[in-house]
This record gives sequence, C-alpha cells and structure tokens, in this order.
Amino acid sequence: MGILNLLFANRDVLNIEDIDVYEKHGGYAGLRKAVGMERQAVVDDVKLSGLRGRGGAGFPTWIKWNGLPKNYDIPHYVICNADEGEPGTYKDRELMLKLAHTLVEGMIIAGYATSSIAGYVYIRGEYVEPAWQVRKAIDQAYKKGYLGKNILGIEGFNYDLHIHLGAGSYECGEESALMSSLMGERGNPRLKFPHAPLPTVSGVWQSPTLINNVETYCAATWILANGGEAYSKLGTERSKGTKIISVSGHVHKPANYEIEMGTPLMELLETAGGIKGGKLKAVIPGGSSVQIMTAEQCTKINLDYESCAANGTLLGSGGFMAFNDRTDIVLLMKRTAEFYMHESCGKCTPCREGTRWIFKIMDRITSGNGQTDDVALLLDVCSQIDGRSYCGLGDAAAWPIVGAIKAFPEEFDYWIKYKRSPVGKNAVPPTPEVVNPLLTLTPA
Amino acid sequence: MSSSEISGVREPQPDPLKEYRFSEDAIAEMEEIATHYPERKAACLPTLWIAQREYGGYLTPPAIQEVADRLGLSFSEVEGVATFYTMYNLRKRGRHHLEVCTCLTCAVLGAYDIVHKLEHELGIHLGGTTSDGEFTLSEAECLDFCGAATVMQVGDKYFTQLTENNVMELIDQLRGSPDYTPAKLADAIVKIHVPLSSQTGGGSSKPEDLLLPAGPML
Repeated sequence: MGILNLLFANRDVLNIEDIDVYEKHGGYAGLRKAVGMERQAVVDDVKLSGLRGRGGAGFPTWIKWNGLPKNYDIPHYVICNADEGEPGTYKDRELMLKLAHTLVEGMIIAGYATSSIAGYVYIRGEYVEPAWQVRKAIDQAYKKGYLGKNILGIEGFNYDLHIHLGAGSYECGEESALMSSLMGERGNPRLKFPHAPLPTVSGVWQSPTLINNVETYCAATWILANGGEAYSKLGTERSKGTKIISVSGHVHKPANYEIEMGTPLMELLETAGGIKGGKLKAVIPGGSSVQIMTAEQCTKINLDYESCAANGTLLGSGGFMAFNDRTDIVLLMKRTAEFYMHESCGKCTPCREGTRWIFKIMDRITSGNGQTDDVALLLDVCSQIDGRSYCGLGDAAAWPIVGAIKAFPEEFDYWIKYKRSPVGKNAVPPTPEVVNPLLTLTPA
Repeated sequence: MSSSEISGVREPQPDPLKEYRFSEDAIAEMEEIATHYPERKAACLPTLWIAQREYGGYLTPPAIQEVADRLGLSFSEVEGVATFYTMYNLRKRGRHHLEVCTCLTCAVLGAYDIVHKLEHELGIHLGGTTSDGEFTLSEAECLDFCGAATVMQVGDKYFTQLTENNVMELIDQLRGSPDYTPAKLADAIVKIHVPLSSQTGGGSSKPEDLLLPAGPML
C-alpha cells in the first residue's frame, strides 16, 4: 500500500512527450503485444486485470470493451472522455500534459480490440496546453505508422484519431451529453439504460461506441504491456490496481499521487505533507460530488471503491480535497451548490429548478436570514432531485448537501441560530461581497 | 410591447448575409475538420471556434448565421449550441478576459480575496469591463488545476499560484500585451483540431508559444 507509480513511472523522464524517448522507455510495447493477440484475447486480458473505470463510476472496463456487437456493418467508434471538470480533480490534465503517448497508445489498443474505425479525444476547451500535447502525440504516432492505414503491417487495421474540444460545459463530462456535444449539439444528456440502449450498442451517430476516461486508457496500456495478471495482484480484492488521486486544499504538497488501491486515507494525507494552517477538519475524497467526511471518519477510510462506499462516500474521480479547521462547511456547501446551479444543463426539471432552490436556501442561511426549518427544507429538496434526472448531475448536486448536513449538523444549526459563522471572522471561503440580488430570497 | 417581446424571441432572425468574413485559410480549416466526422453537423463546435476567431473574439448574430450557412444548418440550431457553452462569448469582452477560479479549493485558498482586489484595483464588478476595454473580470467554475490554486485563466493560458500580492504584478504584465486574448484562445483551439502537417497559416499561435512551464507565472 502507499505510493505506487505504474502510469506515472516515466512521468519525470526528460522529454517523455517525444515519441522516441517514449519508445525507449517501453512505449508502444503494449500495442505491439496487443496486435499479436486475438482481439478477444485483448479484452480477456483487461477482464483478468479487474480494471474498473477511472472516471468516477467504477464500472468494470472489460464489460464495455466486450459489449460492442461483433457485427461490423456499421462503424464502431472509440471515445476518450477528457472533459475533466470535477472540482478537485486534475489527474487527466497531468496525464495528457506529460504522458499523452500513453493515452494515444491505450486508445489504439482499444480501437484494435473493438475493431473501431476512428477514435475521438474529447478534451475540455480550457485545457489548451494538454490538448496541444495530445495533438503532437497523435501527429508523431501517424508518422511512425501507429495510426492510419494497415497499422503495424496488419492488413485491414485502419484507425484514425481525432481531437474534439469542448467549449466550457461540466455537463459534457457525462457520457451521453458528451456524445451529443461531439455530434455538434447542445450538451444535453439522453435517456439511459434500460430505457434506451447502451452506448456500446447505439452511441455516437447511432453506432457502437466505447467511452472511457483518460486514466482508464492509460491503465489499459500498462495492462497490455505487463499483463492483466500483474495488475490484478495489486490493490484490494474488488478494487484492483492503482488510482491517481489529485490532492488539493489545505495541504503542504498538493499534487497528483498514484497510490495502490486500499491505501489508508490518512497515509495519503501524510504523504501530501499534512494539513497546513490548522488541524484537519474535513476531507472530500472524490471530487465535489461526493459526501464530505469528518476528521474522525477519515481515520477509518481506505482509498478504494468498497471502503469509501461503506463509509457513506465515494472514491469518484479521485479529487481529494482536505480542509483545515478554519473552513466553514456551510459556506463551502453554498459554493458547491452555486457550482451545480451554474452547470445544470437545464434539460430535466428536478435538477434545473432544484439546484436553484438549494442555492437560494444556502444563500439565505449564509446571509443571516436562515429559518428554523431550512435544514429540513434542504433535505426535502435534495430528496426531490436525487435519482430524478436523466444523468448523474442532479444526484451529484444533492449528495454533498445531504452529506454535509449529516456530517456537520451543528454548523448548520449555528448559522441559523446565531446568523454568523461558527468558525469566526477568519472563516474560509469568505462570503462574497457582491451577491446577485435576483438570487437572494427575502425572509418569509 | 413589441411582438418579439411577447413571443419571447431573443433577437430577430438576421437576413441572409451579403458578406461572409471567413478567410480562405479558415474555410480550408473548416473543411479539413469536417472530414473528421461522418456528419457535417458535428463540425459545429469547431466552426463556432473559427467564427469566434474570425469575428474578433465574440459571436455576433451574423457570425452564427455564417456558421449555419457554411454547415447547412439553421440559424436557431447553431444559436442553440452557441448559447449553451460558456466559452463562446456572445458579447464583446475586454482584450484580456480574466477568469478567476472560485470553486472549492481556490475559494478556501483565497480566490475571493483576489476577486475583491481586482474589483477594487480595476474599478469594475464581476462581469464588468474596464472603460479602456483592456480587462473583463469573471468568476470561473472549476478550471481543474486545483493543485496550483489559486488559478486564473486569461485567454489560452492558466496563471497559477496567484495571491492577493502578486496578482497586480501579473495585471501590469498583461496590460497592453497582444497575447492571451479571446481571439488567441479561439485560434489555439481551432489549430488543435487540425493535424500539424496540414496546417495552413491563418492565426499566429504555435504550440511552442503555449508550452510555458506550468508552475507559477511570476
């Protein structure tokens, strides 16, 4: 347990962005090995590794890879979800910036295993610098014959890789919204399985589509190069391998740390230099969408899917945020509510209206106009959103609020009773001076 | 009350354009990008980026009309896309669009102090533009570089590890600078879509210009 650099093994090698240096350090060996195997054998190797999706949901990767129909009358596509938008997460940024070739290699392997004709890397529009690195990596791969027609001399293995940039929408990180955006539409989500076919059957342009996160493709590259069995020996029983955790907040050394699954949360916190400016108060272990944990709960959590779920939170995308005792949880949750209000795409009424109501109530509490039943009202609104929209954004807006009320009920009560922060004058985040007057509720 | 106000129409549909503003290079780029997808409609987002560059950093109704005409879509279809995504500017911004991330990590590490400092020093509120047209100040949702908080995006560049004390130094460097403008951002994004081997002249951004170290700017 602890730090274990698999994907990050070559992170600090000079000029690893260049294809020659990358090849010298074992680059494209996974692809060469994969194309020497049967397509199904590649999928079986991923199955053996026990790799689960690293974008947040933790869905077994091999089921997606295996789920594409073997009927090749209609073209198959591979998509990489690089629309990293979860507050607290910046692992994909570093992977693309330094290890773009690992991603490209993983996508070519996925293209081979699924017999796809093209792949798309959907990168968020703000990530100009990482996207340039992916551009350069793709161009170099074309020159070396890893992309294009008859790749590595294999008759009929034609595969192209394109980049598609978003334009500033958190919602497009959701797979069905991402596909809408890739097709040139508004980034609205679509109905999900079982009410609609899975993307692996009917995805982008009604074709079978494989969508994975950046880190998942990078892990697939490692798995093909080193064997699925080696990967499956790492981690815990049901969470295999490693996970990159982006540590930020009140810590001395914020950075991306690649850890073996099952590493205790406190061990990672120590590796990141410990809490600065006070004592540990709370941790959000998996990005803003998951429930906040108190310092006491943190000692019990190991960073893997099962342990997090057992403690009432989620590992999510690995956006690990630590907060010291100057942090006002209610103000923090107000900012979270503002984020989801802004990012709700507006398609489903519970999410569109509910996120606004959550923010209005949080704003009422933190501007000193809280009512005695506001906490009950918040819980009621959250329960009306959770599970009632097409995609997970509605759930993700409700969970942190419910989690914070459960973990820090006394802070909400203090705000409502005394109309000021329980932390005192130096609380962070500070209340912004300018609040949109249209969004402020007048007390009843 | 006019009829458009009653029906809720945001703006009257413009007449078909008499004059298009895409340069030859821009059209070549658009056609190259369109070949990446099985449907021409999928090139809508990249073509809007081209329009944002060609029309000086923001999308006017004629710009949207030109995109629609060139892709064979309707005005309202393209307008729907342009209004959905926050990075498409629907009105003119200052030469430098300062987008301060105030999401969770940045918020607890002093992003609001930076916002207040900028509001005070530049004499504008969030969303406002200075009278000389130099700076527009906005709040941004998570820019996802939380390890280097506090982060501010200006055009195509992230500036990291900002504090109340060093942010004004950065502003002085940016003042009058031709780099990091909204048009430069659009140009870089368009260029990323096109393989380097088939890139024509067009804009000015080169990958080398953008790959400054990711550490603190100052």
